[in-house]
Amino acid sequence: MRYLMMSMASDYAPDDNLYVEMGKFIEEMTTAGVLLATGGLDPNGIEITSSGDEITVTDGPFAEAKEAVAGFALVEVRSKEEAIELGRRFRRIVGDGKSVIQQVFGP
Amino acid sequence: MDAHRTVDAVWKLESSRIIAGLTRMVHDVGLAEELAQDALVAALERWPESGVPDNPGAWLMAIAKRRAIDHIRRAQRFEEKQEQLVRDQDTQEPEDDDVLRLMFMSCHPVLPTEARVALTLRLLGGLTTAEIARAFLTTEPVVSQRIAAAKQTLAAQHVPFEVPSELDARLNSVLEVVYLIFNEGYSATSGDDLMRPGLCLEARRLGWLLAAAAPRSAEVHGLVALMEIQASREKARTGPSGEPVQLHEQNRGRWDQLLIRRGFTAMLKAREIGGTPGPYVLQAAIAVCHAQARRAEDTDWVQIAALYQALVRLLPTPIVHLNRAVAVGMAHGPASGLELVDALTANRHLQDYHLLPGVRGDLLLKLGRLAEARVEFARAASLTKNVAEQAFLLRRAAAIPARTGPALVESTKDYLETLDAVTRRSYAQTLNRLCSRIGDIPLADLTKDQIEGVFEVSWGKAAARTWNRHRATIRSYLAWAGLDLEPDLPRRAEDTTTPEPLTREQIDEACSQAPLREQALWLLLHESGAAVTAVLALDVEDLDLDDRRATSGVSWRSATARLLPELLGDRTRGPLFLADRKPGPARLPDAADLCPTTGRSRLSYPRAERLFKLATGHTLHQLKPAKHP
Repeated sequence: MRYLMMSMASDYAPDDNLYVEMGKFIEEMTTAGVLLATGGLDPNGIEITSSGDEITVTDGPFAEAKEAVAGFALVEVRSKEEAIELGRRFRRIVGDGKSVIQQVFGP
Repeated sequence: MDAHRTVDAVWKLESSRIIAGLTRMVHDVGLAEELAQDALVAALERWPESGVPDNPGAWLMAIAKRRAIDHIRRAQRFEEKQEQLVRDQDTQEPEDDDVLRLMFMSCHPVLPTEARVALTLRLLGGLTTAEIARAFLTTEPVVSQRIAAAKQTLAAQHVPFEVPSELDARLNSVLEVVYLIFNEGYSATSGDDLMRPGLCLEARRLGWLLAAAAPRSAEVHGLVALMEIQASREKARTGPSGEPVQLHEQNRGRWDQLLIRRGFTAMLKAREIGGTPGPYVLQAAIAVCHAQARRAEDTDWVQIAALYQALVRLLPTPIVHLNRAVAVGMAHGPASGLELVDALTANRHLQDYHLLPGVRGDLLLKLGRLAEARVEFARAASLTKNVAEQAFLLRRAAAIPARTGPALVESTKDYLETLDAVTRRSYAQTLNRLCSRIGDIPLADLTKDQIEGVFEVSWGKAAARTWNRHRATIRSYLAWAGLDLEPDLPRRAEDTTTPEPLTREQIDEACSQAPLREQALWLLLHESGAAVTAVLALDVEDLDLDDRRATSGVSWRSATARLLPELLGDRTRGPLFLADRKPGPARLPDAADLCPTTGRSRLSYPRAERLFKLATGHTLHQLKPAKHP
């Protein structure tokens, strides 16, 4: 089963040590065949809304910075608990903040 | 949150490293696993209250190590020799290849296959006995017993915790176990129990674990690539009611591109390492070929057939032979594929192998041999145990129409019947070739691509005149049959310079060396000035020797007239010019082309032409006398 882990933006700037630790974690997850895709997101998103026949496109940023998704990881795991355990490891590396994990259906 | 499930998740992530590390310490895989289980029990007791520790893997390892040291100390009091172990454990830190050593142990050739599988899932995948039992549709006691026996065997045989020196050979045994686990999950089409598809993920995880532990082996990366790409098709390989969907009919949009990409990456690693490709790299290369084709018709079958050709030498299993036949059928036509399948049918070990009639049915269907195809599909259905597959095969058998309109062979025969004897002989060459290359397909299925293919292969390099003759034939036939195909077969420019006619002296010179039949033919051609085909078509009963002419209008003069009585002998009917030998039973011509006295057939144009060419270096056309103005 697959889970998408989305991490919200945090207040503080990441230091070099964080990059090293993250790099190690990502490599470890990739070699183990767990990590399918990962990436960071530009806070300046573009909003596309539809209403009736009308489609409106608006440039971001939008939500509270803390509520905006800053990065994601798509993982393939045996169970929900395994996804949570990976989330724990990730949060331990990045420090204070919030991640949300949701199961992905398909393709 | 369920603490038990959390512990289980952590355990599955960490157990291989923990058990491998402990095995290094206590030199006994059974004991190592017991100690690790103790740590697991401790976690189950404490984590629900204290919460999951910051680094749960390290926590489990620390507890297990403590138990191991306790155990060694206790044992030491009774056995002097254990001293060594304590020293080992003090000096030896876990090493990177501990997991690899553990894999070699659990897949050791002294163990029977099912024991290797169970032990590997248990020690390296962290599966419980119950999970293994469910996955392999057996009971817990059976699996427990299997694992216990395996551990005993390893201890009794003193199987060492090491990376063996004959790495490649032993690695094969590990790869085999991993792929077996994968296939156990992959071939299960019933989705009632999630544990069986879960085996695929388990096997892929083991593959990745192995690739990290033995990164210099191309075959390991090949296996990883193979499993990733096969797994990428999981959603597309069964239809709505669980029936299998064949590769070429799968919706490629449902293939998982993420897994395909990972497969390609693993394949690149295998290629970087290089060396002669082993069976897993070859199978992965085949999977890559399929994954690269955006549409089924884009598949590079020639490449796949070549890969199977290499694979069948390393892995001559029935399934590889059969897949090769399929690939050859796709690359070089169903007739070539059928030839390989028929060679397999002769093997009595394969007589109950249900995939064989299935594939044979497919090829027969493509060749338009509908009745035979129907029988084969029905036979395949009766041999398979899988209900969904059985229903699928029976539907295929039922879907074959009794006869969809006229078929190619019959239609060409009907056409030839409408022609005169000479034209028929010439046209039959073209049309028979067409039928033998394409097969007896329904006329409605004939495509211009097929016709162009036959022309390219058969006459692409032939002389312009030959090409044009076959071209004219096929165009006449298509027009007669009312087929609006217009194959792209451009008329070729013929060499129009007519060779010089031979002089009477040159002909007499040639005749002086030649047997009677050739002399008569050559002189007749010269004296009559008739077309070669017309002369070869002469029958004995048509000749009027006294009047020196035949009913067809061909006439001759004295030189021919002198030879004819001897050439005829006591023949009264049949072809005038005969071949040297009797035709074989498989090549028997029409009765009109057979001599009732000698049983020989009519001398053919190509043969006559060749004989003249050999004798004189010229063509029969040059026997025609020069036209005097």
